[in-house]
Amino acid sequence: MDVHKDIRVSVQHEPFSSADDGSELGRGRTDIGAVVCFTGLVRDFNESPDVTGLTLEHYPGMTERTLEDIGREAWQRWSLKAVRIVHRVGYMAPGDGIVRVSAASTHRRDAFEACDFIMDFLKTRAPFWKKEHAGSGDYWVKERATDYADADRWES
Amino acid sequence: MPACPSRITPEWRDDMEGENMQLTHLDAHGKASMVDVGEKGETRREAIASGRIVMQPETLALLADGALPKGDVIATARIAGIQAAKRTHELIPLCHSLALSKVALEFDVDALNNCVHVEAMCRLTGRTGVEMEALTAVSVACLTLYDMCKAVDKSMRIDAVQLEQKSGGQRGDYQRRVDAPIVTGDSVAREVSLGDRCDSPCVRVKFLAELRERVGESETIVALDQLDNCDVAGLKATLTARNGAFEVLGERRVLCAINQVMANDSARITDEDEVAFFPPVTGG
Repeated sequence: MDVHKDIRVSVQHEPFSSADDGSELGRGRTDIGAVVCFTGLVRDFNESPDVTGLTLEHYPGMTERTLEDIGREAWQRWSLKAVRIVHRVGYMAPGDGIVRVSAASTHRRDAFEACDFIMDFLKTRAPFWKKEHAGSGDYWVKERATDYADADRWES
Repeated sequence: MPACPSRITPEWRDDMEGENMQLTHLDAHGKASMVDVGEKGETRREAIASGRIVMQPETLALLADGALPKGDVIATARIAGIQAAKRTHELIPLCHSLALSKVALEFDVDALNNCVHVEAMCRLTGRTGVEMEALTAVSVACLTLYDMCKAVDKSMRIDAVQLEQKSGGQRGDYQRRVDAPIVTGDSVAREVSLGDRCDSPCVRVKFLAELRERVGESETIVALDQLDNCDVAGLKATLTARNGAFEVLGERRVLCAINQVMANDSARITDEDEVAFFPPVTGG
């Protein structure tokens, strides 16, 4: 945790806890006017129409560092009060939460945009890889050009 | 290195989610109790269970040829399984009686493993799951196979009766997983693993995710004096010369990190660096 910036990241096998929904960010504080929380879930269709689950692999060490860097980058771009990034690894079934990003700010626009930005950068920079399990077998998910186009929006 | 085991194994993940880790057929005092499903909404539910009966090769051959004294073994076991699924509530004390919309059994005669694999699928639209029906169908089909073959073989063994998957209902879907989850490496978060020190200057090279499967290994050590050029391109060249499987490192989409920081082909490599190669990321 950065002592000056309230940014916390977690890479974990466990499902999200109830405290991960962003409600913790506003507790005991009166300077926060907006909390935006994004949750990404496992779909039962992606590259196959019948995805039965997926296994997420990561690069321990680099993953946490990258997520913290993305959080700090968001902190510089927007006026934020708190940032939380929780990403799960290991086996997950359709409907399970994969990633949860929460941002707190004084006004809503900062929190909305910071969440959007963090997700775009997370999807193109953080070392996670998905292997999908489907009726036809297991395969590694291919990167998407649209994800890179989304991340490029923030470069201008 | 063993992969980090997932803390939540799929076999009991249903019960670990939320605060539902309790036995639904026991009341607050630990007494058996039939669950009142009257308030639950009706959903489409399906369950598949499997099992097998292992026998002597000669018995299996007779079964496959339809030459056993009691006749068509598989057809009889199929009817037995369907009948059993419909009568599960009479056998399992706290099961509800269900109006199943579909019961199907498949039999696979496996000469390699000297066994018959049995799979049962049960389906309905209702308020309670059908996994007990599928498991009962498999169990009774296996027992029927035993009964049909016991005149020639008493050593047969029924085993591996298990739920393969279920869908529908509040507790979510379940899918039995065969493979252990793969999670790279054993390094502690925030630390670059140095591992055993080399006697001479060297780098530790890691291959992650899809790339690990394509090159066929997760980690290797390269002595710096084997490199013509002490940069990422030089490392790729040395590895490719060592083994053709490393040619994939030359693909443009392959990414590289030195000491967990992204690096390009011209980045310098020094003693005890950790160099990782991996495909484009797909998280989130």
